[in-house]
Amino acid sequence: MTRPLAAALALLAACAAPAPRGSGLAVRVEPGRDSTRLVLVAAAGIKINARIPPALETPAGLRRFHAERLTPDSAYFADPPVAWLPGRVRRVSGTLRASVCSPGEAVCRALVIPI
Amino acid sequence: MPRPLLLLFLSSAAVASGGLALRSAAPAGAQTRDPLLGVAPAGPRPAPAWHNTSWLNTDRPLTLESLRGRVVLLNFWVFTCYNCTNTVPSLVDFDRKYRGQGLTLIGVHTPEFPPYAGEHDRGNVERALRQYGIEYPNAQDNDSRTWNLYGIRFWPSFVLIDKQGRIRYEGAGEFHVGDGNYQLWDRRIRELLAES
Repeated sequence: MTRPLAAALALLAACAAPAPRGSGLAVRVEPGRDSTRLVLVAAAGIKINARIPPALETPAGLRRFHAERLTPDSAYFADPPVAWLPGRVRRVSGTLRASVCSPGEAVCRALVIPI
Repeated sequence: MPRPLLLLFLSSAAVASGGLALRSAAPAGAQTRDPLLGVAPAGPRPAPAWHNTSWLNTDRPLTLESLRGRVVLLNFWVFTCYNCTNTVPSLVDFDRKYRGQGLTLIGVHTPEFPPYAGEHDRGNVERALRQYGIEYPNAQDNDSRTWNLYGIRFWPSFVLIDKQGRIRYEGAGEFHVGDGNYQLWDRRIRELLAES
């Protein structure tokens, strides 16, 4: 196994929140020195509704995910949206809410995912 | 590993990995519904009575009982849903064409998120109605009671009720003025309007 791949696997093992089967969403946790970056990663084709930004409800409070770049219609995130937590944390827990549109569907689905 | 590849890997992992069970916002036991509009008509069955108390674009709450003798099209939507707002021009068109012939179109505004997101706020709904030129009645369904009552799972969804108060057609998904699904709903509305 190449070192970059091993590093990626280690990162995944350490920092990816449990991904519910079939939800198509995962929260990647990126601890920094003074804060922690949470990146909401969607499986290929799944669009995350930017009109109602995803939210992570934690015991410490509510965090909303945002990204600067949107699709041309301003309806969906063009980049994985990001939220920040104060301090350096390696794991997060709470409830993730997101409105998503799956490939080939012309409907919105609300996902409520315990992580 | 290049960053795009890492993202692809994580995306695949998100789908493939096990973990905690997903709980969708759909009510438990909701009927399976094809999200596309080409669904076969459901067997006629009595439409359940809704009891929403907060209404817009009408001076009094509308009840199923008071609408006997009219065809009713319920549109479950929320203003934060792009698929929903894209469908509004079609609904405005149906309202314009058929209100005088016996169609009552009702928007059932059902939030996706808890109140912190602003979807429950009456002022925000009012603004959305103005923004999209919606003049037909809308009920706020902030507790999702009517959504659950009808077993809805997707935004937007549609329920077409005949003059006898029976559900005749159901479906979900965005459509546009003049497209195939618009024409399908148009035919369904005209069919029920023609019944005595």
